[in-house]
Amino acid sequence: MITLSYFPGCSLTSSSSFYDRSLRRVLAFYEVGLRELEDWSCCGAAAAPAMRQELSDVLNARNIAIAEKSGLHLLAPCSACYARTRASALKIAGDRSTRDMVNEALSPMSVKGSLEVRNIIETFLQYVGVEKIAASVAYGIGSMRVVPYYGCLLTRIMGAPSSDDVEDPSGMDVLLDALGAVVVPWQFKTECCGAGSTATDRDRTTRLSGRIMAMAKKAGANAVVTTCPLCQLNLDLTTHARGDLAGIPVLFLTEVFELALFGSTPDSKHHLISMADIEGSVEILGGDSA
Amino acid sequence: MPLPSFLDEIETRSGVTVSVCYQCCRCTNGCPVAGEMEIVPHRVIGYILSGEREKVLASTSPWKCLQCATCSLRCPNGIDVARVFETLRQISLASGFAAKNDVAHFDDLIIDSVQRHGRFAELETIMRYRLSKGQFMKDAAMGLDMLRKGRIGLSSHNIRGRKELGAIIRRMRGHRDR
Ligand code: SF4
Ligand code: SF4
Repeated sequence: MITLSYFPGCSLTSSSSFYDRSLRRVLAFYEVGLRELEDWSCCGAAAAPAMRQELSDVLNARNIAIAEKSGLHLLAPCSACYARTRASALKIAGDRSTRDMVNEALSPMSVKGSLEVRNIIETFLQYVGVEKIAASVAYGIGSMRVVPYYGCLLTRIMGAPSSDDVEDPSGMDVLLDALGAVVVPWQFKTECCGAGSTATDRDRTTRLSGRIMAMAKKAGANAVVTTCPLCQLNLDLTTHARGDLAGIPVLFLTEVFELALFGSTPDSKHHLISMADIEGSVEILGGDSA
Repeated sequence: MPLPSFLDEIETRSGVTVSVCYQCCRCTNGCPVAGEMEIVPHRVIGYILSGEREKVLASTSPWKCLQCATCSLRCPNGIDVARVFETLRQISLASGFAAKNDVAHFDDLIIDSVQRHGRFAELETIMRYRLSKGQFMKDAAMGLDMLRKGRIGLSSHNIRGRKELGAIIRRMRGHRDR
């Protein structure tokens, strides 16, 4: 059994708290222990670095300092938290003046930048493994035709190398395939959903997210799967502006795990685009089903 | 002593070597919002090279950028164009060009929230934004649906270290509580 330190981030404690619960259920099943970062703070997302680079570095350094004390690898499921924390750790380790600046600001906390940061896809691939995942499937989800949607920040991290192909990532494809879903090829894996501009320019987010949902429909998918809470919400919100797209739910990767492992998820009611059809199509394995 | 050029200012502040740009346009081709930018990405870089500081900073382009980094990924010369856009935001804020910009305003409210609570309080921040804009009923149907399905964080959590963190943020923003 492995234990990770865990940085849920602001979204997973508010608008996407059901993602936090889903993730905990699935990782508990695989006996991956989670130790939530003690008194973590917001990563500052895109707002802090737009204001001042040092502010962003300090906000991230605070969480990194807390995580480093545990000596565990850190799981950050939100793409923004993951990208910011990971890039900051590398910068703090590699750049003396940044390291000195954050340590002075945060004293008596101390930070080295040695932290290993993982997203949820890396966590499944590295700490559970594809074979174990395939062997643990108890329900048939072969009627799910899914398009994996990675978004921007999971692979394109400013100042840090990516663990997956930047233009055509495949980590989530591999996991979904192991779970028994039909992975539909498409070109929009890493298109931008409109990110944090929903509050200030909803039309634009609707347009960008709407393009992605339209492409999912055209590709013949009946579900979009993502790992980022902001992407999920932006895509889910298209239901309020694009009636023509209704019907394709946007699931978190861990919810697909729940369908394949447990046959259902207790939190499906939080989806703006209903996932009832998908849930209804799950089959109990064994007997005559493949 | 002559003032440092706009190019120097950008390169020093961002750590990105902009001067190797040969205007191939790939950054603009990959940008999902180039169509709504007053000055498209490769032209922004071009104007930095030719020293058109005011033209770039007064445009809305830095604030239209989504920081999706497609441009940085595709630049054949390894120019981190997204980082340059982020730097333009910093300079534009520091020199007063962004005073009335909505994105800058919303960012400011987000950092307010982190300064007070240690975390981003969704509902409180969005309400403050809507109030400041006089948009009381904007997207009401959407808001109701989100509320009904538990997609709006109603409560805000105060971290224990918020006093210490708040003091650091206040100092870094360079002003007192407002
Ligand atoms: S892609 Fe790079 S080299 Fe080409 S125009 Fe953009 S910044 Fe210049
Ligand atoms: S980071 Fe900004 S400029 Fe670059 S492609 Fe994305 S939106 Fe366009």
